[in-house]
Amino acid sequence: MKWGGVQYDAIVIGGGHNGLAAAARLASGGARVLLAEAGSRVGGAAVTAEITPGYSASAVAHLLEGFPRRIERKLKLHRHGLRYAARNVATVALDRDGHHILLPRTRKEFSGFRDLLPKDAGAYREYVARRRALAEFVAPLLGERPPALNDPEALKRFLRRSVWRAALKGGRTMQSLLRALSEAIGDRLDAEFESTLLKGALAFDATLGGSEGPYAPGTSFRAVLREAIRMQGQGVSLPVGGMGAFSDALAASIAAAGGDIRIDTRVVRVLVEGGRAVGVELSGGLEVRAALILSAVAPRTTMLDLVGARHVETDDLRELRHLVPRGAAAKINLALDRLPKFSGLAPELYGSRLLVAPSLAELDEGANAARGGELPLEPMMEVLLPSVTDPLLAPEGQHVMSVIVQSVPYAMAGGWDMHREVLVQRVVRTLGHYAPGIEDMMIAGEFLTPPDIEEKYGLAGGDWHQGDLRLDRLFAFRPAPAYGGYETPLPGLWLCGAGSHPGGGITGLPGWLAAGAILADGGSA
Amino acid sequence: MTPDTAQPNEIPEAGIDLGSEQAAVDPALFEEVPVEPPFARTVHTTPLHIVTSAESRTNRWTDWNGYTVPGVLTDLGDEYRALRGAAALADHSPLVKYRIFGRDAFDYLQRLVTRDLAALEIDTAVHVVFCEGSGLVIGDGLLFRLGEDEYRLVTEETHLAWMMESAEGFRAGIADVSATIALLSLQGPLAAACLHEAGVANIDGLAPFAARRADIAGMPVYVSRTGASGDLGYELWADAEDAPHLWRHLMKKGAPHGLRATGFALRELARLEAGFPRAGKDYLSAFAAVASGDASSPFELWRNPPVASGKAVFNGGRALHDLAPVPPRRRLVALVADALEPASLSSVLSGGRPVGTVTTSGFSPALGANIAFAMVESEAAGGELALTATLREGLNVREVVLRARILRQPAWNSQRRLVLPAPLKS
Repeated sequence: MKWGGVQYDAIVIGGGHNGLAAAARLASGGARVLLAEAGSRVGGAAVTAEITPGYSASAVAHLLEGFPRRIERKLKLHRHGLRYAARNVATVALDRDGHHILLPRTRKEFSGFRDLLPKDAGAYREYVARRRALAEFVAPLLGERPPALNDPEALKRFLRRSVWRAALKGGRTMQSLLRALSEAIGDRLDAEFESTLLKGALAFDATLGGSEGPYAPGTSFRAVLREAIRMQGQGVSLPVGGMGAFSDALAASIAAAGGDIRIDTRVVRVLVEGGRAVGVELSGGLEVRAALILSAVAPRTTMLDLVGARHVETDDLRELRHLVPRGAAAKINLALDRLPKFSGLAPELYGSRLLVAPSLAELDEGANAARGGELPLEPMMEVLLPSVTDPLLAPEGQHVMSVIVQSVPYAMAGGWDMHREVLVQRVVRTLGHYAPGIEDMMIAGEFLTPPDIEEKYGLAGGDWHQGDLRLDRLFAFRPAPAYGGYETPLPGLWLCGAGSHPGGGITGLPGWLAAGAILADGGSA
Repeated sequence: MTPDTAQPNEIPEAGIDLGSEQAAVDPALFEEVPVEPPFARTVHTTPLHIVTSAESRTNRWTDWNGYTVPGVLTDLGDEYRALRGAAALADHSPLVKYRIFGRDAFDYLQRLVTRDLAALEIDTAVHVVFCEGSGLVIGDGLLFRLGEDEYRLVTEETHLAWMMESAEGFRAGIADVSATIALLSLQGPLAAACLHEAGVANIDGLAPFAARRADIAGMPVYVSRTGASGDLGYELWADAEDAPHLWRHLMKKGAPHGLRATGFALRELARLEAGFPRAGKDYLSAFAAVASGDASSPFELWRNPPVASGKAVFNGGRALHDLAPVPPRRRLVALVADALEPASLSSVLSGGRPVGTVTTSGFSPALGANIAFAMVESEAAGGELALTATLREGLNVREVVLRARILRQPAWNSQRRLVLPAPLKS
C-alpha cells in the first residue's frame, strides 16, 4: 500500500525524547518531518504516568539533568509549556541515624557541611573542584558531533583542540584526567575521604544506571562524565507535571513547526532500494517514503530488525554485536497518603534527591549480587518526592514518591514474577529505616523491573543509557566505529537515539546532534 | 546357526513393560560408551582411503586439509599421461563442503559472495569469491544450487565461523557436510566415456557447470561437469558409505579406456596448468594473513574476478566498488621459465630487483617447461622478468636465474572443457 498523503523530507522512527529532539530540529529548519511512535504517547522513558487515579509521577526517568539550555531556547520550549517546579535540586545522602549530609551547592551550605564532616570538608572542596575542571574539559566534546574516525585531519584537529584546552587549564588537568580515565571511583574516594556515607553518595552518582560497582575501573571517569552532562543543562531540575510535560513541550514545538507526530504507528521495516534507505513500512503495510530516515531506536534493533541483515555487510553488523543492552536499574513509583517523615531531615530538603547509598562496600556488594543474578539485600536508591515541589502530581496533602533502585539484574532465575514481591519488600523495608512508618502510607504503587521498562517504555534491554557510558563506547566509538557520526553504512539512514554519542540521560543531545549532522551534510532540510 | 540367532525374540521382551513409556526406554542408551582418546587417531582418512591405499605403489602420502591422501600412487608421469590422454580418477573428499539451506539461503548467499547469483539455476554451479569488509578475499569456491532453497558451497579451506557470523539475521542453516559426502574427481578427455561405460545415461548431454542426479550401479550419485584440470571432467558426489564401491565400479568400467587412479601431486600440477589459484597456497585468506599486506583483493587474484557491479549489498561491496577502478598493486600471474629440467623456483626479478614471489611451481609436460604462479608487482609485470631457480644435480645445488615470461593463456585449456555434447571418444 502506498502513502497518498504529504511528501516528507524526513521520517523519525521512535518518539523518545531524542527522536523528538531530532524531529524538532529538522522541523524548525523547515523540513517536513514525520515522527512515528509505536506506543500510545511520545516521550519514551521521559513520560509521566498515573500510579493510580489522582497520583502521577515520572514513570521512568525522573530528573532533567543535562538538557542544554540552548536547545530549550532554540525550540522555545517555554512557549510550548515547559515550566520548572525546581531547579538546581539539592542532593542529600541519607544516614541511617539521621545525620544526613547535604552535598553543598553554596558557601553557606558548605559551612554546614564542614561542621558535620570537619575532616572531609577540605578534601571535598578539592574533589569537587577537580571534577569540575575535568568536566569542563570534557563537556564541550559532549555537545558536538564526534570527529570521524577515518578522517585523520578531523581527529588531529579534535586532539589539538583538546590539548590546547588542557594547556589552558594548567598542566595538572591533563595529568589528573589521564588518571581519572581508568581509575575506579572507589579507590579514589577511599584515598581522600573518611566518611563512608559521603563516599557512598559520591560513588552512587558515578555508577547509577550501569552494572559496574564502584571498584570497577573507569567509574571515576563516569563521575566526570555525569558532571559534564549536568553542565550541558543547568544542573538538576524538575519539570512541572513530571518528565511527560517535558516530552509534551518538545512534541508541541514539532507540531508548531509543521511536523507530523503519529502515535500508535509502528515502523516494521526500513525500505531499501538500490542500497539506499528510501522510506519505511508501517505495521499496516503502508509505505511512507522520504529521503532521510532517522532511527531513535536501539542501533542493533535498527540495523538487524528494521533494515535487515541482507542490506548490511557482515562486518558492519558484527560491530554491533556487543550492543545487547542489559539494564541494571528498576523503578518504583509510590502513591502516599501523606508526607513521609524522614527522621532528621530538614523540611526544606524534602524536595531534594535523597540518596540511599550508605557505603562503598554496600554499593559494591549490590553490584556483585546483580552480576550474579541476585537481588541486592539492601537496595541502593535515588529517592525523589516530586509532589513536594510540584503539588499537582497528587491530591492535596498527599504525595508521590519516585525511586530508582540500583543494581537490579535484567533476568532473574525462574523469571521475575517470583522475585518481584521480594524486591518491593526490601525496598520498602530499607525506606522504612529512614522514613519510619512509610509502609502504612502507601496507597498504590508501580514497580518496573528492567524487562518491564523495556516492554512498556521501549528501552531496549531496559537499559537507561542504551549501552555503557565508557570511554571506549563514547564519541565516535558510540555505538560502534562504523556508526560513530550518527551515519550508518546504509546511505539515507541515520541514528539519533541514546545509543549514539553522547549517550543516555535526558539530554536530547544525540537527537539534536544527529539532526545537526544531517543539516551540515547538506541533507534536504 | 550362530549363537546370535539361536534364540531369537527372547532378549528384547525381558523386563520391559510396554504399557509405560518411561519403562520402554532401552537401558543401553544410558550405558557409558568409552570415549576415544583425542590423540588416538593420528591418521585421519577419507571414506575412499581403503581403495586409494590399495592402489598405492609408492607409499607417498601427503596432508590435505588434515586428511592423509596419496601424493603419488604410481608414477607422476604415468598419472599425467592418463589425465591428458585418457582419464584420471582422484579422491577429492578433503575439500570442504557446506550445505546451506532455508528460506533465506539465497539472500544469505547473495550477501556473502561477490558474484550476482540471480541467474544461478537449479543443478548448476558457479565459481564464487567471498570477501570481508575491506574487500580482501577470504576464500573462493564452487557454489552448487541443489534445489529451490538448497545450496552446496565447496571450498579449499574451512570458513564456518565467518559463514555462521554472516548468517545472523537470516533464516538460513549452514552445515559442514564434508565428512558425509565423498568426492570423486574424474578428469580427462575420456572422462565422459568412462561414465558412459559405468552406466550413466546421456552423460554427453550434461553441459559444463551443470549437474544432475544419476544412479551408478544402484548407488545414488550427484554428477557435475566441473573440475580444475582445464579439460573435460566430472565430479561425483556420493554417500561416504557408497564411495569405495563407486570407486571400484568406475575403475573396473574405465579400465578399457585407460582410466588410472591418481594422487594429490597430479591435482596440483593440473590446476597449475589450467590456471586455478588455490587458497592457502597462492593467496592467503584475509583472516589467515598476519600482515594485511599479505591478503589480496579479487582484482589481484583473477583477471576477470566474479564481482558483481549491479548488486546492491554484499560483503566487501563498498570497498570493492572503490577498488575496482584502481589498478591493483600486484597481481597473481602464471609464468613460464625457460629450462628443460624441473627446477625449484623462488622469487621473481625484474632488472635484478625482486618484484614478486613464486607461490606454486611445477614442471609442465605440456609445455616442456617450468611453470609457476607468482604474485608480482603490477608495474613490473609488463617488463622483462626473470626467476631465481635452484637446480639439483646429485648432491650439488646450483642457483641460476632463468628468463621468464607471463603466460597469457593457461598451459592447458582444452576446447573439450566446454563442448556440448561431450566427446565419448578421444
